[in-house]
Amino acid sequence: MLSRRLLFFGGKGGVGKTTLASATALTLADQRFRTLLVSTDPAHSTSDILRADLGPEPRHVVADCWAMELDPEREADRYIADVKGRIAESVAPRLVAEVERQIDIARASPGATEAALFERFTRVLEEEGREFDRVVFDTAPTGQTLQLLSLPEQMSAWITGLIGRRRKLTAAGRMWRNVAGAAAEEAASSDDPVLHALEERRARFLRARGVLMDAGQTAFVFVVLPERLPIWETERAVQALGKHGIPVAGILVNQVLPDDLSGDFVDRRKAREAVYLAQIQEQLGSWPLWRVPLREEDPVGTDALRKLGCSIWDAYGMLPKAPYETNGGGTESSG
Amino acid sequence: MGRLREALRGRLRSAREIYEGMYVAPYRAEIHREYLRQRDLFLLAGFSDLLGVPNPTQFYLLELYPELIESFHEWHLRMGMETAPEGGFRCC
Repeated sequence: MLSRRLLFFGGKGGVGKTTLASATALTLADQRFRTLLVSTDPAHSTSDILRADLGPEPRHVVADCWAMELDPEREADRYIADVKGRIAESVAPRLVAEVERQIDIARASPGATEAALFERFTRVLEEEGREFDRVVFDTAPTGQTLQLLSLPEQMSAWITGLIGRRRKLTAAGRMWRNVAGAAAEEAASSDDPVLHALEERRARFLRARGVLMDAGQTAFVFVVLPERLPIWETERAVQALGKHGIPVAGILVNQVLPDDLSGDFVDRRKAREAVYLAQIQEQLGSWPLWRVPLREEDPVGTDALRKLGCSIWDAYGMLPKAPYETNGGGTESSG
Repeated sequence: MGRLREALRGRLRSAREIYEGMYVAPYRAEIHREYLRQRDLFLLAGFSDLLGVPNPTQFYLLELYPELIESFHEWHLRMGMETAPEGGFRCC
């Protein structure tokens, strides 16, 4: 699981996604993988838990670990500025103000921040993330994340329809030019910038989709608590991801009561918990289940998180080997 | 001789043009209509948000607005609206 380049941590709000994603990122970094931790949850808590000052660009946290928190509003502003810059030269001067006004209206539309967040997300997948050995995504609660991950599929289908329309239009324009000659100057030429832009868009969606569906480089990990509601939500989410073809690697069962506790109160809690653990086994047992014991203290700060991560993954024999020591060659320095 | 032949050839050419015109003109008009129909359909499919119909890809197509505003302008003139209708581009 930890050998995949892109790791996603998802689950219901409050189950410990941020804690476990940060712990895993720090563990990977500890094993000398250059790791980037990315929070896509607009309600960021990554900086709180790492006790680090994070922003929308990768910042160094410790050793081989970098982190960032994506800010949808800022991404939307940036995207708008970028579009305005790009179209400035292709708009007739008398229309510039009007095109810009329309773009500002679109900025205020409900889908704008979501689309801008996705835009940045694909850039992290395709470009920014390539500078790292591992990218760990701490995602927003289930609904938002499913939306984000299913976007490429929906959008590429829609744009495919538009491309078909545009092709028909180009063909009709060509026929019109053939019979009308010079009178049909306004007909779209065969070198159609609109078609070109649409095809580029679609290619980008399809690439993002390809990466998300590639079990060789992507793994989705769900975090669940031994409680009623998270179990049901996780089961639905796992099925939804399956429908979109996104590979689920396993499920972290967080805050399981440790074995070495006893006492009346604990015994009663354990009896309750056993019911839910059985339910998890039944509903989610077709995926690997990894238990994370409940701790006395909340793991906060890089040291505590790193220890937590190591103990979780070591318990299941999944700690990856340090890449530059085992591979030996190339850029390796003897340290 | 040369002049006569030239004149004859000229007559023949105009006769052919008239003949072609009678047959081709309706066909030509139909092709033009089809072209305009496809143009409007694309405008509607790609930029329905201008008419208040939600368009999920609106935000991804912003870069096409310059091209679109020209089509839109041409469309409202053709539809007999001298100025742009409310709600869409205010191109004039």
